[in-house]
Amino acid sequence: MVYFVNDIITGALIGLLYALVAMGFVVIYRASKVFNFAQGELVIIGGFIVWFTTLQAGLSLWLSIPLSLLLAGFVGYLIERIFLTKLIGESVFSMVMVTVGLLILLRGFVLLLFGPAVRPFPVIFPLKPLFLGDMLIPLNLLIGGIITIVAAAGLSWFFNRTRPGLRMTAVAEDHVVASSMGISVKSSIAFAWVLGAILSTVGAMIFLSGKSLTFLASDIGFAALPVALFAGLESIGGLILAGVIIGIVQSLTTNYLDPVIGGSLGSVVPYIIMLAILLIRPTGLFGWRTIERV
Amino acid sequence: MDPSGIFPTSYQADGRLIRTRWQALALVLFLALMLAAPYLVGARIIAVLNMMLISAVIAVGLQICTGYAGQINLGQAAFMGVGAYTASILASKTGLTFLLVIPLAGIAAAVFGFLFGLTAARIKGFYLALTTIAAQFIFHFAVLNLPSTWMGGSNGITVPPAELFGLRFVSETAQFYLSFAVAAIMIAGAFGIVRSRFGRAFVAVRDDDVAAGIMGINVAATKANAFLIGAFYAGVGGALWAYMIRFVGVDQFTLFHSIFFVAMIIVGGMGSIVGALIGVFVIRIIQEIIATVGPNIAESVPFVGGDIVFAGMNVILGGVIALFMILEPKGLMHRWNILKSSYRIWPFPY
Repeated sequence: MVYFVNDIITGALIGLLYALVAMGFVVIYRASKVFNFAQGELVIIGGFIVWFTTLQAGLSLWLSIPLSLLLAGFVGYLIERIFLTKLIGESVFSMVMVTVGLLILLRGFVLLLFGPAVRPFPVIFPLKPLFLGDMLIPLNLLIGGIITIVAAAGLSWFFNRTRPGLRMTAVAEDHVVASSMGISVKSSIAFAWVLGAILSTVGAMIFLSGKSLTFLASDIGFAALPVALFAGLESIGGLILAGVIIGIVQSLTTNYLDPVIGGSLGSVVPYIIMLAILLIRPTGLFGWRTIERV
Repeated sequence: MDPSGIFPTSYQADGRLIRTRWQALALVLFLALMLAAPYLVGARIIAVLNMMLISAVIAVGLQICTGYAGQINLGQAAFMGVGAYTASILASKTGLTFLLVIPLAGIAAAVFGFLFGLTAARIKGFYLALTTIAAQFIFHFAVLNLPSTWMGGSNGITVPPAELFGLRFVSETAQFYLSFAVAAIMIAGAFGIVRSRFGRAFVAVRDDDVAAGIMGINVAATKANAFLIGAFYAGVGGALWAYMIRFVGVDQFTLFHSIFFVAMIIVGGMGSIVGALIGVFVIRIIQEIIATVGPNIAESVPFVGGDIVFAGMNVILGGVIALFMILEPKGLMHRWNILKSSYRIWPFPY
């Protein structure tokens, strides 16, 4: 029983980590209507920036973390300036295709710059797990989960209650309508990418803290994808619920079903949940239902 | 497009693919050159051509699904993989002739693709595109985790060569002719499909699916059909791949390969079969150059390491996709059409 509860808690915490990475998808979508396929690559770039500022440049954590976030934001801004600004006014299809191109472009760049070598990642959150009676809770995931919930609450408030947030929401509904209302689509998309890159870096810190860093860690992007779709691409608060559900189901599958069938069903179960939910609710749990006119 | 003053007088004439004598001549010359290729160039180039033909079949399928029907498909490599695995299992376990194996592989992939296309009945837009990524993951899971006696697990499967009347397709030349025959049939078929009512329905759905639905097109069925046809092409291409490489492993069919196919149709031009062929040619040439030049660079600049081929391929292909989307979203085919019409109306500007 203790193990069972423990699996549920760990699963929920991993789910919150997925939710944090998925928040990168949602924030970019909520401010620009672009689905960013290269999210996992942003996580890796964030990871390499953190690695560079701490272990290569030798800065203390208090200095390197803000610096890394700043640098990551700059990288996000740069990507947006080089690739996406030019496509405003083009179909959303081209923008999404550009992010597909970015997915392999950024991976190639990371490989060229850093190579396939395995690197240590600085310990940002304490490695020692927290013991609650017989239960064992990984502390880094716990702190990460708290960060996720705080970030979700903050961003949710920002996008739904404040004027700049509502402006971006308008951009997510329709570029043309938004710009004819006097909203700058350009700055909204730029902000989205800066925020997306920063969130990815935070995700990288929680995910990789004390582990090793290679370019393969970008798989977290595709692990988080089902969470984003399950919640619906427009809902930030919904990510928490979706992440927790997917995390728990995945953890239980890995621990109880996989030994029986002798395979890693745990890695595809999020996709199966996602497909099932999309068939019942085509825009996810909390996504917008848009009315289409011709 | 015909010059002004020439109007087709019958429906058949309007749908004709070969409109002028020069086009017929060019086609015959091209086919003759392809048939004579093994006697003109070396085995290495034949192998590259063979790879191009196989990619052409798959890219044309993707063109129908994405370029004509407008359904973003990031699972083409998985559909190809289903075809390749079906072909290799059938060929190695039952010993069926390739004349049956290749269509059966296509059908198996088509069924797999149709299953994901069926979700189109409920899911729209990007959500639908993302289910194709799910196809990619589920394919990997199935191959790696089903009992290894079924699909070889992570070891892959070795494929016996194709045989017809005691003739074994082992040499580069024989495989080239096999791929050429299949590719010719498939591409001719693609021209037929896109001119048929299905093709017109695809274009209508791509341009506006709500409007298409109002005009009486069954939108969900059309989208599912697009996936079915695209996956059938991928499956046939996968079977050819299995017969050429004679070994299939799950690493040959990753998301990255899917993106390479997407790059081909973007470079060539969306919504044009010839565009897909041009895209295949350009991208395969780029890949070939990187594969040849890469190791030399790796030798002279040691710190970049041996992964430069894969990394360089990703950087260049990713850059090509982004550049084409920004600068020439209609692809090379569009450029060619502009060139053609300005030649025709020369010396007038329009």
